[in-house]
Amino acid sequence: MSSPLTLAPATGGQRPRRLLVVLGGALIVATYLFLVTVQPAEIAGGMGSVASLVTLFGFLGGGALLVAGILPMLSTSSLVVMPLGIALNIAIGQIAGSLGMQIYLDAIGTVLVAVLAGPAAGAATGALSNAIWGLFNPFALPFAAGAALIGLLAGLAARYGAFRRVYLAPVAGLVVGAIGGLVAAPVAVFMFGAAGTFGTNAIIAVFRSMGDKLLVAATKQGLLSDSLDKIVVFVVVALIVYALPPRAVRQFPFARTHRVLGGRTGALPAPSPVKAAHGGGSGVA
Amino acid sequence: MPRRRIYDPLTELLAAVLLVVLVLVVDRWQFSLAVLVLVVVPAVLLSGRARQIGLAITLVAGPLLISSLLLHGLFYPEGRTVLADLGVARVTAEGLTFAVRMGLRMAVFTGVLLTAAMTLDLPDLLASMTHRGWNRKLVFIVGSAVGLIPHVALRGHRITRAQQARGLVVGRSPLSRIRALLTVMTPLVIGLLVDASERNRMLEARGFSSSVARTSYLPDTDSHRQRLARRGMVVAVAVFSAAWLVVAP
Repeated sequence: MSSPLTLAPATGGQRPRRLLVVLGGALIVATYLFLVTVQPAEIAGGMGSVASLVTLFGFLGGGALLVAGILPMLSTSSLVVMPLGIALNIAIGQIAGSLGMQIYLDAIGTVLVAVLAGPAAGAATGALSNAIWGLFNPFALPFAAGAALIGLLAGLAARYGAFRRVYLAPVAGLVVGAIGGLVAAPVAVFMFGAAGTFGTNAIIAVFRSMGDKLLVAATKQGLLSDSLDKIVVFVVVALIVYALPPRAVRQFPFARTHRVLGGRTGALPAPSPVKAAHGGGSGVA
Repeated sequence: MPRRRIYDPLTELLAAVLLVVLVLVVDRWQFSLAVLVLVVVPAVLLSGRARQIGLAITLVAGPLLISSLLLHGLFYPEGRTVLADLGVARVTAEGLTFAVRMGLRMAVFTGVLLTAAMTLDLPDLLASMTHRGWNRKLVFIVGSAVGLIPHVALRGHRITRAQQARGLVVGRSPLSRIRALLTVMTPLVIGLLVDASERNRMLEARGFSSSVARTSYLPDTDSHRQRLARRGMVVAVAVFSAAWLVVAP
């Protein structure tokens, strides 16, 4: 008798760590609420040491807990597509730049993974994407929790049909972008004094010239920029996944089970009663 | 020439992160400047890759520092000491002070983390994570993603050139740019998904789903003393931070 070529299947240690996910989510929400409501000192009145520390540990710690809770739950098919999403996030920024694009498009990989592999994989892709990006650009690091939120919401939007029709994608992008902008604003303000690109800082400067506090100005800018960015990202991802061959989509249980692309998912047809009764008819096209 | 590695990558990364935490806790421009001059600059000079690291820090932090200076230097409604009134914009002493202090913090943040990351040997880091028993899925994702980034960039570049050879012209309108992006992205993503599907089968065939302990081909660069030092550093910074936040005015 020949020996098996594969190792023994997992017997334990793979149980979902939902508690970690709940704790991570709660930490991120508590950090956000602390920063926008309890934190009394406006950053532009001082450097806000406590606020910076809370931002760093709250959002990074929350993101780390989310990843620690989510990773053991993911299947191998979800796992292999995550590095692809992370690499796309980072590389597409460069392609967009070479094509003269004026928006970031740094969440295309996250949203793509979320649509194909689900909200958990999307959230982990977003958080890990910014953590790995931090090796090349440390400014991306504190935004990991916001990126995780984008992945989570994109996956939930896909789960409930936002990618079944192309005109629903920008609506979902608008909502997700607005929430992402709200979460990213305190990070930008309390960690870096809202420093960003010349384009985003120009928008903040407009609101500051009207007398807005720094956090308010950065939040308004986040609502504008992130919403526009995510509208484009969601539409681009929708058009890309519509162009994918059905076989490529079918390999993802999430996309198959929830028919995230509607009729385009290419779900296997149910076996006919006659064939099923004879035990045949796999239904493969 | 890159320096010879003395410490485990996890020890170096932790030291860099704790240094950033200290800068945030102390929150004094003098301390930020001291860390920049006495720690970051010597570390960059002794790294053996001073030119590359210096260039990377300049490219990453430079635009942010300039835009921060313009934003707070010209638009700071909380400022009372007006140095120049330019109509809509006002140059205030408070705004310039805030921009300089925030700029110093950002320079330390970028300098410390980028120096640590650029002197890091990624295979060593992944091996160290494996030896320490970190989640193998996390190790796979980090290693695979970092390896894929140049591959994706190169493939995207080749597809862009191929599409340009077939007549792709990027117009000035946003719609034309999005269409150009789609003509590059669609074949890129399809190709990458096919690769991922192959990788999925190969990983399953090699027992990736199994939960048994992994071995690493690379030797463990960690030691008992370094593990003790890491715990000691974390405790020392935590105690100092708590004391500073309570005592400092």
